[in-house]
Amino acid sequence: MADLADTSFSGRALRRRTFLRVAGATAASSALVLAGCGNDDDDPTPGPDAGTGTLVLAANDTGILNLTYLLAQIQASLYQKVVTTPPSDFTAADTAAFVDMRDHEVIYREFYKSVLGTSVYDNGLITALEFNFTPYTLTTRKGAYEAARTLEDLAVGAYNGLGRRLANSSYLRLLLKITSVKARHAAFVRDQVEFNSFAGPDVITPTGNQAGLDTIKTPAEVAKLLAPLVPIVLVADNLMTL
Amino acid sequence: MDFLNLLARLADLDSTTAAPHLAAPRRAALGRLGQAGTALLPGLLLGALSQPATAGTLDTRTRLDVLLLVRQLAALGNELHSRALGLVAGYPALPLTATEKAGIQVIQQQEAQRVALFSQLITDGGATLPTTPRYDFTGSRNGTQTALYPDIQTNPATYLLVAQVLKDVAVRVYKSQVDFVRADAYLTETLLRSHSAEARHAAHLRTLRRQRGATVKSWISPDDAPVAAASPAIAKVYEGESSFTQTYNASGANGQGGALVSVPFDSTLPINVATPPLSAEAILRKVAEAFDEPADAIVATNIAALFTY
Repeated sequence: MADLADTSFSGRALRRRTFLRVAGATAASSALVLAGCGNDDDDPTPGPDAGTGTLVLAANDTGILNLTYLLAQIQASLYQKVVTTPPSDFTAADTAAFVDMRDHEVIYREFYKSVLGTSVYDNGLITALEFNFTPYTLTTRKGAYEAARTLEDLAVGAYNGLGRRLANSSYLRLLLKITSVKARHAAFVRDQVEFNSFAGPDVITPTGNQAGLDTIKTPAEVAKLLAPLVPIVLVADNLMTL
Repeated sequence: MDFLNLLARLADLDSTTAAPHLAAPRRAALGRLGQAGTALLPGLLLGALSQPATAGTLDTRTRLDVLLLVRQLAALGNELHSRALGLVAGYPALPLTATEKAGIQVIQQQEAQRVALFSQLITDGGATLPTTPRYDFTGSRNGTQTALYPDIQTNPATYLLVAQVLKDVAVRVYKSQVDFVRADAYLTETLLRSHSAEARHAAHLRTLRRQRGATVKSWISPDDAPVAAASPAIAKVYEGESSFTQTYNASGANGQGGALVSVPFDSTLPINVATPPLSAEAILRKVAEAFDEPADAIVATNIAALFTY
């Protein structure tokens, strides 16, 4: 009963194994490590826009906030893309909602950047990362809402998993202030894709001793789910030790 | 891990700057904190002995206090929605559409699941459950005073408004309660996952109200039509939600002590990205929307008291 929902045996095994690899590879820093030559052969997950960097998140609040910063960057970028080029079947209400959510995500992005100061992972990068949204169909209303749904649900799960890992309780209070707004976004966009799916069984555990509880994701799960969208290798395994 | 957290929290209490308004004697607070690593039952005894929180004192709630509160809120919501759906004898179903009913069933069932979960945690901890309260959602306390919402059992608009208020206040109060259970990672996660589920429910109820013509966003916004303050307790539910001030403390690893840093939303942060840019006032309204504010337990228990007799 008292097992943590996001700590499975396989998760622990993975954590040990990858921690050794990461610890050997880099200092525990959240800096984006740029490989000089961008040799695709060395890239474990080459993709159409695969970059040449690896982001290793540190096992501390800075690592956690860099992950929430990255999530906000991705979501702000997605909403901006839809607001700039709205699907032809978007209504005025759809646009207004996406503008609101875009503004909220920009506010989160700049908030995290401000808190992180020089510890922000992309400090010193000449151009910001460009995210790959080709897994989504942003040219239709349904596709835009489905993309929003995927990312908002992912963010809620990520935030629920990160909360207990934060050491600084003033950061946790801010994270919670944001979590519920993200959950409101998630419920809204889910209802737009399929009405009454705001708290569906794919996000709220339907049965068993966690019935009624919302989605939760480990940092490693979040990194894996974000991998197709980011032009870098994202390593969140250090956060699993928190 | 829990022991280290406990030490960290004891150290926090030793810092005079950490709790400038600490009114309770430190020894009492330490005694209460000592319960964090043990069964819930001693917490019950301490909880029963403790004085009601007064303004300006540091709230030092036990895990049991927190569980009883969230169970109370879930039970209150479960009863409200069950009555609206016609599941309680003597309360005919409200004239909601079939689509509205389907969503409210989801909310009601998840409330019932959380009542069961919190009840289990309370009894597993060795404490007993409180007796089931008597509810009157008109707010008349069984006809002993003027009803606040006389048509709540016949008018869907009134019911949905009260349902929204209960959800929004629950979301606010969950935030403040997490502080009291942080030494317990399992309970922290459970509260976080309940908190976001509550926010999903709140957003859906707001969407239903908007579909029926109310001026309300799915997230709490200064643009929402104000909720009529049928009582002082209702007025407290949205108090402070329009704040655009956010602060944090980066001085200590645990966020205690040292100076608060205020996030410069109103000056240097490049958050105004609309074309053309929003007015300074309008972008700060977006900042207020982007953060849901916490509220003390008393805000929710006062709301529960309106509907309990």
